[in-house]
Amino acid sequence: MRRWAVGLCALALVGVSALGQEVLNIYTAFDVDQAQTYVEEFENAHPDIRVEFVRLSAGALLARLRAEHPRPGASLWLAGPSDTHIIAAAEGLLEPYTASLGWQYLPEWAKCPDGYWSGIYTGFIGFATNKDFLEEHGLEPPTSWYDLLEPEYEFKVSMAYPYTSGTGYTRLASLVFLLGEEEGLEFERKLAEHAVHHYTSSGSAPATEAGLGEVAVGIAFSHDIVARAVGLGYPVVMSFPKEGTGYEVGAISLIKNGPEPELAKVFYDWMMSAEAQTLYQEWYRVPLNPAAEVHPEAVTAAEVTLVDYDFVWAADNRDRLSDLWQELTGF
Amino acid sequence: MWGGKLRLPPTSDPGSLTMRERIGRTGGELRRLAHDRGLLLVLVVVVALVATFVVFPLFQVFRESIFPRGQFDATHFVRFFQGAPFLITPFFNSLILGGLVALTGTVVGFTFAFAIARANVPGSRVFRWIATLPMISPPFIMALAAILLLGNRGMITQVIHNVFGVRWSIYGLPGLVLTQTLAYFPVAFMALEGVLRAIDRSTEEAAFDLGASKLRTFVKVTLPLAAPGIGAALLLLFVISLGDFGNPIVIGGRFQVLTVQAYLAITGRYNMPLGATLAILLLVPTALVFIVQRYWLSRRSHVTVTGRPTPSTAHASGPLLRWVLFGVLCFLSGVILLFYGMVVYGAFTHLWGVNHALTMDNFRYVFSVGRRYFMNTVQLAAIATPIGGILGILIAFLVTRKRFPGRKTLDFLSMMNFAVPGIVVGIGYLLAFNAPPLRLTGTAAIILAVFVFQRMPVAIRDGAAMLQQVDAAIDESASDLGAGFMRTFGRIVLPLVAPAMFSGMAYMFATCVTSISAVVMVVSARWQLMTVALLNDVDNAQLSRAAAWGVVIIAVVLAAIFVLDVLVSRLLSRRGSHGR
Repeated sequence: MRRWAVGLCALALVGVSALGQEVLNIYTAFDVDQAQTYVEEFENAHPDIRVEFVRLSAGALLARLRAEHPRPGASLWLAGPSDTHIIAAAEGLLEPYTASLGWQYLPEWAKCPDGYWSGIYTGFIGFATNKDFLEEHGLEPPTSWYDLLEPEYEFKVSMAYPYTSGTGYTRLASLVFLLGEEEGLEFERKLAEHAVHHYTSSGSAPATEAGLGEVAVGIAFSHDIVARAVGLGYPVVMSFPKEGTGYEVGAISLIKNGPEPELAKVFYDWMMSAEAQTLYQEWYRVPLNPAAEVHPEAVTAAEVTLVDYDFVWAADNRDRLSDLWQELTGF
Repeated sequence: MWGGKLRLPPTSDPGSLTMRERIGRTGGELRRLAHDRGLLLVLVVVVALVATFVVFPLFQVFRESIFPRGQFDATHFVRFFQGAPFLITPFFNSLILGGLVALTGTVVGFTFAFAIARANVPGSRVFRWIATLPMISPPFIMALAAILLLGNRGMITQVIHNVFGVRWSIYGLPGLVLTQTLAYFPVAFMALEGVLRAIDRSTEEAAFDLGASKLRTFVKVTLPLAAPGIGAALLLLFVISLGDFGNPIVIGGRFQVLTVQAYLAITGRYNMPLGATLAILLLVPTALVFIVQRYWLSRRSHVTVTGRPTPSTAHASGPLLRWVLFGVLCFLSGVILLFYGMVVYGAFTHLWGVNHALTMDNFRYVFSVGRRYFMNTVQLAAIATPIGGILGILIAFLVTRKRFPGRKTLDFLSMMNFAVPGIVVGIGYLLAFNAPPLRLTGTAAIILAVFVFQRMPVAIRDGAAMLQQVDAAIDESASDLGAGFMRTFGRIVLPLVAPAMFSGMAYMFATCVTSISAVVMVVSARWQLMTVALLNDVDNAQLSRAAAWGVVIIAVVLAAIFVLDVLVSRLLSRRGSHGR
């Protein structure tokens, strides 16, 4: 009889883990493998700190912070468009921090005046188009938002949900800034009705899906299109809408009441450094630290037409626009 | 995941007692309870657990859907009845999908069951093994395989396109019917196999003797006798399809269903009232089905076995039918193996769609970056399994062997999660355990609780079946000799059912490791699960790596089954040698 009891205990004890290292918990909107790049380098630079991270789309990340408030499960929020950080700051979910290394070099548009977040990269909404598809149909890559409504692309475009994904919301807000609120939402409705193959909850997935050929066009951030499709060898060509496109300032922020505030500041400072932002080269991101090296294939602001993107307005209207969007599109 | 059996255990015996008799009985039960402190203590603990982890979360879902932030607000229900597409469309889509999968899954399940139980096709052991494969793997493995094979650029799609110049899209309803049928038909198969075996062959033989043709016998005798089983399989598959989250989020395309919309509303935008409303919309048809099942189907039972089943000499099918069935089973099994094979192949490719060179990179990733997911899953499932197993037997023992007031209520409540879709359980946990007094979000405890209490109905049902093998006289004599409840249960009952419990645990472990729909709501920074990693990779369109996760998950489950199998046979052989 004792034997089965021992067996039971053995089964229950299969995993009892005990580790006594300093641990920093991070929520990140970077894709897992990309986050791993930075986390590994950081751990090399700070061998006494171990980093645990969870990857969530920016909208989902904000949702989680709201759900966990006032006892968040992480101390640092790494990446994701600044709109979501702005909302979190307004809701009292973040802790200001202006003592970081990067605070001096950041231009006004790339940081929160009250210090709740700092910009760490920029990126632009673009189209990832499958080359085989273009060849098969004798088409040129789309260069206008309106190209996506052409019959050739019917149900062949994927893009992210505006409410789960920072990329998705940047797209929606860009169209609103470009066409006005009513027209912009109407355009999204037309996309939903005529062009969309499916919506994704992750912002970078459409780039890869275009690469796989599951869709003809994926709408995503430029750095994701290069890192997730072109750079991997998928037959994808990147293009931008000539009318103008939206962009993000990817941000970093301290989570209020986070369990490891001091460790979080160490990571924060490190992420602002030229050394850390030079690592972006592997992922084609555009750094905001002027001393960091930029990958030659990374898309910079000089190469695209930008809409007049108001980050604060975008943040303030995120929930309202998302609701309207869902009512209109039914998705 | 769902068990193979169909009925909730009987929760009522004829209520023919008068009020006075009832009160008298309750009084007697109370007095007996006061004598056995151990029993009383255990009862209090069990009732508290069930109330906290089964009833309270569900109550919170109801509350959040109409009383968000403490004020009455049924906006979303109003919008539903006004026909807002983002509520109406997923509702009807889920119903349509459920209906179709119920049909296709039951047909496939019946075919398997009939061929194996009644037609004695050759190789039935192999077929049965293949049919149980989907039960021990994450259901959305099928959706992943469907994309690799039949997606817009899938392997088969490309071949068909090159040969016939045709393209199709697997996304949406067709893909969902296909993947859910393959993932869930085993449920129908397991149920119907039992039903078909239970039909006394002499009834069929009597029909033959009276000159009926084989077809006529099948239509007029076999089918009607199997009808309650078929009805139950239809309803169960309908409910399972409705509750499925993994396949629709992967391959749903433009076809929205309730589970996915509820998940997006909550994890994507923290719209708890909307998520809770969608959960209620999901719960209503599910609950209706179980009511139909309980009060209608269970009364139309045509079970014909009264004594030992008569060994059959003549089979219900001739050689022609047998070979036709054999062919059909070969085809279906081929499809299943092809799907799994595709996932294995995908797991070893560099980058799906571009570079199909073979590599171990994906597994290296799983065991380096993803090591934590792997460890957490194995740890948590290994801890939850014995807890759930013992708790299941304990509750089964209480409700089948002990008499106490509120027994039937406890029985019903502890079985309730059987009928509640996983995503609803997950939402309930998120709502119930995010604030004091029980703040569990972000801990391992909340995942363990989901594991234990979502699977408890199956554990109780298994426990009840095991206890039937134990003569009540044994534990009663222990009580008569003065052993308290704890002692009787710990020293007599548990050891007697231990081997059976270990076998049940293998299945329980498998369902923990492969589950997604409830736990996806409660994973955290510190505690992550492999199925969620798989989901994230599919979500990010990293198909090769997602496939590697799938392979690892299945390997873990098979390893656990193997280990427990060895353990059980050791246990039994020891016991055998003691007996001698």
